[in-house]
Amino acid sequence: MFTLQLVIAGVAVGSVYALIALGIVLIYKCSGVVNFAQGGYAMLGAFFTYALAQAGLHPALGLLIAVVLMGAVGALTQILILRPMLKAPVVAVMMVTLGILITFRAVCLFIWGPDQLAFPQLFPAGVIELGGIFMTYNYIAAVLLSSVLCAAFLAFYRYTPLGLMQRCTADNTRAALAIGIDVSRQVTIAWVASAMLAGLGGALLASLNGLSVNLSNIGLVAFPVIVLGGMTSLVGAVVGGVVLGVLQALTDGMLTPAIERVLREYTEIYSVGALQQVIPYALLVLVLLVRPQGIFGTRESERV
Amino acid sequence: MLKVSGMSVRYDSVIVALNGIDFEAAEGRVVALLGPNGAGKSTLLKAVAGMLPFEQGDISDGRVAFNGASLSGKPPAAITRSGIALVQDGRQCFRNLTVGENLRAASFRHPNGSSARLDLVLSYFPILEEFLDRQAGLLSGGQLQMLVIGMALMLQPRLLMLDEPSLGLSPVMVQSVFEIVERLHRDLGMTVIVAEQTVPRLMQIADDVYVLSRGRVALHAPPGDINEERLQRLYLS
Repeated sequence: MFTLQLVIAGVAVGSVYALIALGIVLIYKCSGVVNFAQGGYAMLGAFFTYALAQAGLHPALGLLIAVVLMGAVGALTQILILRPMLKAPVVAVMMVTLGILITFRAVCLFIWGPDQLAFPQLFPAGVIELGGIFMTYNYIAAVLLSSVLCAAFLAFYRYTPLGLMQRCTADNTRAALAIGIDVSRQVTIAWVASAMLAGLGGALLASLNGLSVNLSNIGLVAFPVIVLGGMTSLVGAVVGGVVLGVLQALTDGMLTPAIERVLREYTEIYSVGALQQVIPYALLVLVLLVRPQGIFGTRESERV
Repeated sequence: MLKVSGMSVRYDSVIVALNGIDFEAAEGRVVALLGPNGAGKSTLLKAVAGMLPFEQGDISDGRVAFNGASLSGKPPAAITRSGIALVQDGRQCFRNLTVGENLRAASFRHPNGSSARLDLVLSYFPILEEFLDRQAGLLSGGQLQMLVIGMALMLQPRLLMLDEPSLGLSPVMVQSVFEIVERLHRDLGMTVIVAEQTVPRLMQIADDVYVLSRGRVALHAPPGDINEERLQRLYLS
């Protein structure tokens, strides 16, 4: 039962990872750029929600407005900073995204300080019990909201005309240009969607774990997620996120205590630290060794 | 219809790909654009289609006009809307999407009458109808060439530009591609520019021939005035 409890908690956090990772994949597919600032967008979305709630708005309304604001931040980043870099090498653009992350962190640190803040209650407080498993409303809401949004986003990408244009841009920029798709606009849309997903994911994570500038580190967890799923697979990002969330929860709840018990018995070591934070990177190395293209990724092939 | 005047193009601000080119395609004509590798054929077509900024290229001098309106500085989307379609070299399509999605995507700019245009495309390329649900990346070279021409037709162009459509195709397929180009020109009255290295079949359908060499127009003549020996001399010069 305890294991199931951990799995459910892992799915909740993992589905939020999936939201954030979806944004990274979206931008990568459209422009070939790995957006290192994604954790920064998640953190900013959470701080916006916090600030709006502090200003007196209902936290849920604050979250909604924060997500819209994040869309504007994503659009401005792409239009003002990245679009002028059209002819710059992809690596240079990626370094700029790293700069954006550092800037976001510095600004948030300046305004809100380094301390952990109590995040406003987005969902009603309380716990429900289902067959001996206890779940807070926060976790249930995080799972439901993330799952619905992931599904809605994947459906949008697969079945709408705008989704088709996004897929065209992601598949072949030259061909997209030739059929009159405004590729720059599509990349802007990808940044808007990515920033909105990150902002929402950041606020949900803050509602589960509290808020500080360290929330921006979530971007580093998102990278193993997308490598696990396959860099270009949106479904892979979702599955990767959930797998990683569950692994982290199981490590934290079962593996770490078991190792610590053994260590205490035979050595003078009492703690192995936050082992769950190592898991994503261990998994990253393992996946890269065994299946470099990720679970859902495909090997690039070319007719010769 | 299309008039290019004194066009010079540089890549990375250094490499000169076109050097003061004058080029014209009159309405309803088939214009052959010949020349060896690196002569500037693809660059000229990309410059007309507004694709150069996306390939580190810049038009450093000259202008392009289509039906009297300047295309200089316009993005590819606007140029496509004005009635110009470019079938690029390398059979550029969306290989992870289905054939049907490729054709549907190509009609975004002109949604009105897109189903009639799809019928038209399928009448020219009946084989595509069988593959509408198949991933484009699984098609053969010849089928892909048909798909990319079909996508260009979905754009409802008045000027169709084809960049080396025969490259890498079997002789039978080359024959079919040129037959289709001829039919498009004859049935729809479409103006067509075909850039090619290999010539014989193209010379049968062309009304006008330009030969490029090292970024300049080395020869502009009717097809009757061009023979293999003359071409060989230009290609090797």
